[in-house]
Amino acid sequence: MKTRLLFAPLLLAALAACGGHHRPPVVTGGGAGGPSATATGRDGSAAPLPSDSGPDVQPVDNDMARGEDFTVSDPETGEGGPLEDVRFEYDQSTLTDAARTLLDHHAAWLKAHAGAKVMVEGHCDERGTVEYNLALGDRRARAAREYLVSLGVDGNQLRTTSYGKERPLDTASNEEAWARNRRAHFAVSK
Amino acid sequence: MIFDPSGAQRMAIPDCVPKRADEASREACRTVTEVLRADLKFEGLFRFVPAELMSAIKALDPEHPDFTDWRGIGATYLVTLTAVANGPELQVEAKVYTPESGQTILSRRYSGKGDNPRTYAHQASDEIVALTGFRGVARTKIAFVSDRDAPAKGRALKELYVMDYDGFNPRRVTVNRSINILPNWNPDGRSLSYVSYRQGQPDVYVASIYEGRSANLTNGRGQSFAPSFSPDGKRIAYSSNRGGNMDIWVANADGSGARRLTDSAGLDTAPTWSPTGQEIAFTSDRGGTPQIYVMDSEGLNVRRLTTVGNWNDAPSWNPSKQYSEVAYTSRIEGGFEIAVIDLASRQVRQVTLGRGSCEYPSWAPSGRHLVFACGRGRSWQIAVADRLGQSVQTLTGGSNKNEQPDWGP
Repeated sequence: MKTRLLFAPLLLAALAACGGHHRPPVVTGGGAGGPSATATGRDGSAAPLPSDSGPDVQPVDNDMARGEDFTVSDPETGEGGPLEDVRFEYDQSTLTDAARTLLDHHAAWLKAHAGAKVMVEGHCDERGTVEYNLALGDRRARAAREYLVSLGVDGNQLRTTSYGKERPLDTASNEEAWARNRRAHFAVSK
Repeated sequence: MIFDPSGAQRMAIPDCVPKRADEASREACRTVTEVLRADLKFEGLFRFVPAELMSAIKALDPEHPDFTDWRGIGATYLVTLTAVANGPELQVEAKVYTPESGQTILSRRYSGKGDNPRTYAHQASDEIVALTGFRGVARTKIAFVSDRDAPAKGRALKELYVMDYDGFNPRRVTVNRSINILPNWNPDGRSLSYVSYRQGQPDVYVASIYEGRSANLTNGRGQSFAPSFSPDGKRIAYSSNRGGNMDIWVANADGSGARRLTDSAGLDTAPTWSPTGQEIAFTSDRGGTPQIYVMDSEGLNVRRLTTVGNWNDAPSWNPSKQYSEVAYTSRIEGGFEIAVIDLASRQVRQVTLGRGSCEYPSWAPSGRHLVFACGRGRSWQIAVADRLGQSVQTLTGGSNKNEQPDWGP
């Protein structure tokens, strides 16, 4: 999902450079409309470079680095966003080393975006009972929140909730889907 | 009528006799016969005179049955039905005779709207069962959760539904296009407590289902789950993390006066009341794995109930004082099954087998049947069984997730 959306502005720029005969493809998922319009306008008004003096190239505004200026998420599912999901082991709410590494990055982002409010959602895989998974999801969300606060993130930025196994990312019944569903998701609003 | 557990008694339910020959009366008669037979068979209290024997004697005159004939084919009890449709109205008469003595032991005339003849049969079934001293369940309803109205793609939506105890007549209760789960009936049968994410956080709500109103009882004070009405309907127990950890709380039925009952470092959830309202069973992982515990309704005297297996959850206390037992969900050989533990002997019996994963048991008000959900992957269906796990019937269909049933009054 993330890869596809980030690639979209490049694709649109390439199509626009072909002479504008092709209409831009419709990009679903939201968030990519702005960059495509900018790319078209800039290409159309490019002036020839002077041939004799000065630098060979001028710095180009890097669209690819601008992901942090907008939040890429799927409005239908609430998935995506600037903060990647943190995964958990089966029936566990303790943070793995990989989870802590990811949360270290999240903490830096949250400190740099002090106005961002985040709902930390705890999710579980489909195995086990409804009630227990709701409680386990709560414990996962709070484990992630507590670690972020221990790294200096303002606790007022972070609320927690639990969806248990009620809102899986992947509805398949296999190890891969279960691993994706055992997670803390970070729903960001500004 | 005296219930005869030896099974020597036989009940005869011949076809309903239409009082007029019009198609509406005949159709109502067919439905009432079929549904009454199914209702009484479901109760598991009676044995029946086979249809072949009933068709071997002369046609029934419902006003003046020939008791000699009915005695001759072994009918201890004879149930007669008549029906007549008058425009939108329906009138059904039900009588129960004892052919041996020729006495009438029940005589009822039901009149009303004709759009659902099944309800007439359900009413008659419950009155016939009441003759035995047992409580019938034919008029009861089951609440459940389904994603049947969710779009094929996009956000997971779960709404509450109610259906008749036999799976007919499903009706949607919530329409907020959010996640609505964990329904639990008020013992008055007119309202449901449940958990909804409609305001983002899981809160406990109560919906007056026939008025179409709902009220938020917890209003974002922590996250709240698993509401359970006390047997007198005056209190509601639920789990909440508003004290910092997931504990059992109890409040008045309108949400006021909330106070914490448990205070362990573990996750405490899924409360269920004893039939007297003096005790509460719940799930806790304070001992390392989820297990069922029992405490008194003030939160004192906590003791562990389940000791076999490493995952026991979702207890449902049999509401009949006749049976002292708790049903729950247990991990057995990697899958989840419904089990029942006897409170006196601590003996455990497994109720489900080979239906995929099963969970969320809930007792019929009679205490003689259980409802639960079983499934694999995307398809989950609601099923009922008697308290020993026999005579399993599936009530829902399709490729949806139909789950979290709660059997109401």
